[in-house]
Amino acid sequence: MSQFMELLISGLSLGCIYALIAMGFVVVFKATNVVNFAHASVVMLGAYLVARWHGSLGFFGAVAVAAVCCAIVAALCDIVLVRALRRRRGSEEVLAILTIAINIVLGTALAREVGTDLLPSGAPWKSDVTHVLGVTVPQTRIAAAVVALVLMGLFWLAFTRSDWGVAMRSAASDPEAAALSGIRLGRVAAGAWALAGALAAIGGAFFTSFPAAGVNNTTGLLALTAIPAAVLGGLDSTAGAVVGGLTIGVATTLAAGYQDEIAFLGRGLSEVVPYIVLLLVLLWRPSGVFGTREVTRV
Amino acid sequence: MTSTEVQDHPAEPAGALLDVRDLHVSYGGVSALRGVSLSVPEGEIVAMLGSNGAGKTTLLRALSGTLAMQGGTIDSGTVELKGRSLAGLDPAVIVREGVVQAPEGRRIFGELTVDENLRAGAFGRGRREGRAEAFARVYELFPQLQERRGQQGGLLSGGEQQMLAIGRALMAEPKVLLLDEPSLGLAPQVLEKIGEIIQLINRQGTSIVLVEQNAGIALKIADRATVLEVGQVTLEGSSAELSESDEVRERYLGLGRGPQIGKVEVVTPVTGRRSALPLTVEDLTVRFGGLTALSEVSFTVEPDSTHAVIGPNGAGKSTLLNVLTGVYRATKGRARYGDAVLTDLRSPRIAALGVSRTFQNLALSPTSTVAQNLLLGRHRLTKAGFVSAGLRLPAARREQAEQERVVAGIAEVLGLSDHLGVPLTSLAYGDRKRVELARALCAEPSLLLLDEPVAGMNSEESQQMARMIAQVRETLGISIVLVEHDMAFVMGLADRVTVLDFGLCIADGMPDEVQRDPEVLKAYLGSTEGSEEEVGEEIGEAGP
Repeated sequence: MSQFMELLISGLSLGCIYALIAMGFVVVFKATNVVNFAHASVVMLGAYLVARWHGSLGFFGAVAVAAVCCAIVAALCDIVLVRALRRRRGSEEVLAILTIAINIVLGTALAREVGTDLLPSGAPWKSDVTHVLGVTVPQTRIAAAVVALVLMGLFWLAFTRSDWGVAMRSAASDPEAAALSGIRLGRVAAGAWALAGALAAIGGAFFTSFPAAGVNNTTGLLALTAIPAAVLGGLDSTAGAVVGGLTIGVATTLAAGYQDEIAFLGRGLSEVVPYIVLLLVLLWRPSGVFGTREVTRV
Repeated sequence: MTSTEVQDHPAEPAGALLDVRDLHVSYGGVSALRGVSLSVPEGEIVAMLGSNGAGKTTLLRALSGTLAMQGGTIDSGTVELKGRSLAGLDPAVIVREGVVQAPEGRRIFGELTVDENLRAGAFGRGRREGRAEAFARVYELFPQLQERRGQQGGLLSGGEQQMLAIGRALMAEPKVLLLDEPSLGLAPQVLEKIGEIIQLINRQGTSIVLVEQNAGIALKIADRATVLEVGQVTLEGSSAELSESDEVRERYLGLGRGPQIGKVEVVTPVTGRRSALPLTVEDLTVRFGGLTALSEVSFTVEPDSTHAVIGPNGAGKSTLLNVLTGVYRATKGRARYGDAVLTDLRSPRIAALGVSRTFQNLALSPTSTVAQNLLLGRHRLTKAGFVSAGLRLPAARREQAEQERVVAGIAEVLGLSDHLGVPLTSLAYGDRKRVELARALCAEPSLLLLDEPVAGMNSEESQQMARMIAQVRETLGISIVLVEHDMAFVMGLADRVTVLDFGLCIADGMPDEVQRDPEVLKAYLGSTEGSEEEVGEEIGEAGP
């Protein structure tokens, strides 16, 4: 039982990180209707920059600067590449494929840069652990959970209350009508990408901290796991991103923790589990748990 | 004729606020506007009349900067606001300059609350000061919206959504307000109210360009009017002048002798025709959660007759059609078509019985051509399966050719022959409505359900539509259930009329009986030719 509790808590804390990354997907999808596969490589970029710079800037300084850099890179992806295609009336499917291309290019460039190294993120909590309810939890995970919850709370407030949120939701609902209301669609889209980039950097920094060893050339691939999190929650739902993130976090951690018991299914199951969970959820609810079903009034 | 012909261009009135000169617009090489000039003097209402496809919406797109979103380009000509060119600017920038459009079909943000919709409109101000005043002004104009400020826009009735669309545009405090078909799909009573509100907005100092199919209302409230036909201005002048002109009287006001249209030949389709059966609706009740959309509605549609269902926006008319076609489930009661109980069947089974419908908001594939959309309508009558059609077996090819022949015949009846090869997106709204009807006819129905078939059409077009429908009914011997707000159309076509209000059947009878029914007048028709005071009172009584 104590092993189960340990895995559950660990899974939930990992889930918070997934949720943070999945939130980036949801923001871009809501504002621009584009499934942004490039997000995974931006997560890796963030983690890489933190790993490179924590020595000179300190962990928090490095996270802040990496967040700004990733925001700029993501916004540039939108302004330079996606916008040009959208101008020529490229469909959402084509834009999604463009983001896959961006993901491959950026991911490969980073993987080459990292090479065979394993770069630690330099989080100040190192491998320290705390005992919560008799369960051992790494301190970085507690920090990650707190940061994720605070950021998600702020995001939710901004999304539902602020002008920015209204602009974002209007643009998602009907871009042409939003433009006619005086909302600058280009800025809304670039803003969403930038926000997603910043969230990716913060998520990436925690994603590669203890108990993970650090950034290596497969980090981008692992970060792709946040896509099932976003999709199973419902691509257009922020609450869905949280639930999806937590589900994937718990599922992978349990599969890794009990791998001896489920060894008959083969080794390394934990890496596949997110996609299995995704399939099962989509069979049950094709638009995700909280996703808006296509509803039209006839 | 007192109106000015375009050939000798009238001198532009001094102090034009918005000035369009010799504008040419095309979509991917297809010309839509060919040298249109328009000037909007400060403080006036300019009405824009014209058939579907004349280029009215295109002109508004050129003014509001949304042309590029639809794949259109300005080839030559100028659009200037007080001497400043608007061509090529981002729509959001044009809004900040003071030209704001309330788009066709309302296009409010359905998931956002009324308050948030207005907040979205306030982005056009470009600054935060005065936003509270703008809110106050809009809520003063539309007290109904204030009552519902926390509700989602998508839950409002059609009339309220139109108010919200206008209110949203007003939040940016426009110098020029562009209204595209504000009357579309509104009940007669709400229509008058919207007309009064437009005049009020104008008196408060906003110039207005009003694109409208309802020429009666448009000419009543506008100072001047322009008639656009096939991308060119054919008439312009003061509203009073144009109201007197023969062309406007005949084509747009539906007065005078009316245009002569050759008798249309209906190709009698060869396959599986059945004669119409009686449709009986008994105690039909539909509830959504706590909301009762239909309450114990009963009526009978005799075979080969046209039965109209009218009533205010939100009365439950579309819900009724949705229940008859299996889209919604009935909570109580039932509907029978002959012996079949429609309320127990699913949509495809109902379609197989020969029940076909058109949709208010159009259910067509926008990227497919007209011909492809129509062939889709024949799906029920197509025998070739996936394999034989895929392999293009001789039988499948013969059938395909036969289907295409029938489709071409139906398209000809509805005057769509020229459009068969073009994608639906390049058709004007009213033309799409005809495609929608053609698609329904392609299924060779014995019972045809029409949801607002002439919304967005001018008087001439709707008369033409009425003739087509009457002829189709006679030749094919089918029953028609008709939901529509255009009273001239309904009264000319229907054998019997059922009136719904808040889901209740408040009247059922012959058209002229219903038209005189005091309850119907109060709930729906508003004033007839009554005095102005009466109009005011009735509008005051009509709550949301």
